[in-house]
Amino acid sequence: MTVHNLYLFDRNGVCLHYSEWHRKKQAGIPKEEEYKLMYGMLFSIRSFVSKMSPLDMKDGFLAFQTSRYKLHYYETPTGIKVVMNTDLGVGPIRDVLHHIYSALYVELVVKNPLCPLGQTVQSELFRSRLDTYVRSLPFFSARAG
Amino acid sequence: MADAALFEFLHTEMVAELWAHDSDPSPGGQKMSLSVLEGMGFRVGQALGERLPREMLAFREELDVLKFLCKDLWVAVFQKQMDSLRTNHQGTYVLQDNSFPLLVRMASGQQYLEEAPKFLAFTCGLLRGALSTLGIKSLVTASVAALPACKFQVVIQKS
Repeated sequence: MTVHNLYLFDRNGVCLHYSEWHRKKQAGIPKEEEYKLMYGMLFSIRSFVSKMSPLDMKDGFLAFQTSRYKLHYYETPTGIKVVMNTDLGVGPIRDVLHHIYSALYVELVVKNPLCPLGQTVQSELFRSRLDTYVRSLPFFSARAG
Repeated sequence: MADAALFEFLHTEMVAELWAHDSDPSPGGQKMSLSVLEGMGFRVGQALGERLPREMLAFREELDVLKFLCKDLWVAVFQKQMDSLRTNHQGTYVLQDNSFPLLVRMASGQQYLEEAPKFLAFTCGLLRGALSTLGIKSLVTASVAALPACKFQVVIQKS
């Protein structure tokens, strides 16, 4: 069980942060394009999911999975999107993504006077705390599964 | 006291506002903004110095006043006590906070070190103001070696 990588987007599609832990295959396109692709896809899936839902929507798009990985999605009312790719053994991790938002992003970036909002996060503290947190998760194992 | 986040956000904006309007990037201009912040802190400190102390008799000597700053004033403003207080018994005191709340979210180490003094100016004034209300004239400076730990040096001015 493991975490592959994590993206953090803001409301305008700016990729605020990207970290990877176990990623065996790259996308084959420059990072900037990869972020745009990810954001665009999420935007489309979200509106698709709410339009085509046969019932009233509660939380909306939560995750998708393929035969090799699962992508988990969490969005806040302010438009901050936390996207985490894990392997298939991992169940719903909404609370983990929420913790990344509230205890890490809000505390260390929003409350940091030297981090301008709407730009990639430069704070080393944020990066290292996020890394420590992800590595401490029960479904993260140092050996790639 | 109200939610600490309110004061932190306000303080952040104060620093940002002063720096935004200060189009003079030379050290002289910087000093102007730092002393404006320090002046604001001084007036707030004077008011807090009036409002906070409970008993008159507690302040028998200078060291007691400094202890009051480290305990009661710090807890009232930052919800924690100062981590250490040292003195040379000749009018100089060094107050050390190992995780200063206004710096703790910024970095843990060397990143942002040159920006740190801006966020300490108000607090230096706060200390100087509280001391002044309690009858002690002083000079307060701050220094940061590695965030979020910082030291406030208080030098008592003998008139």
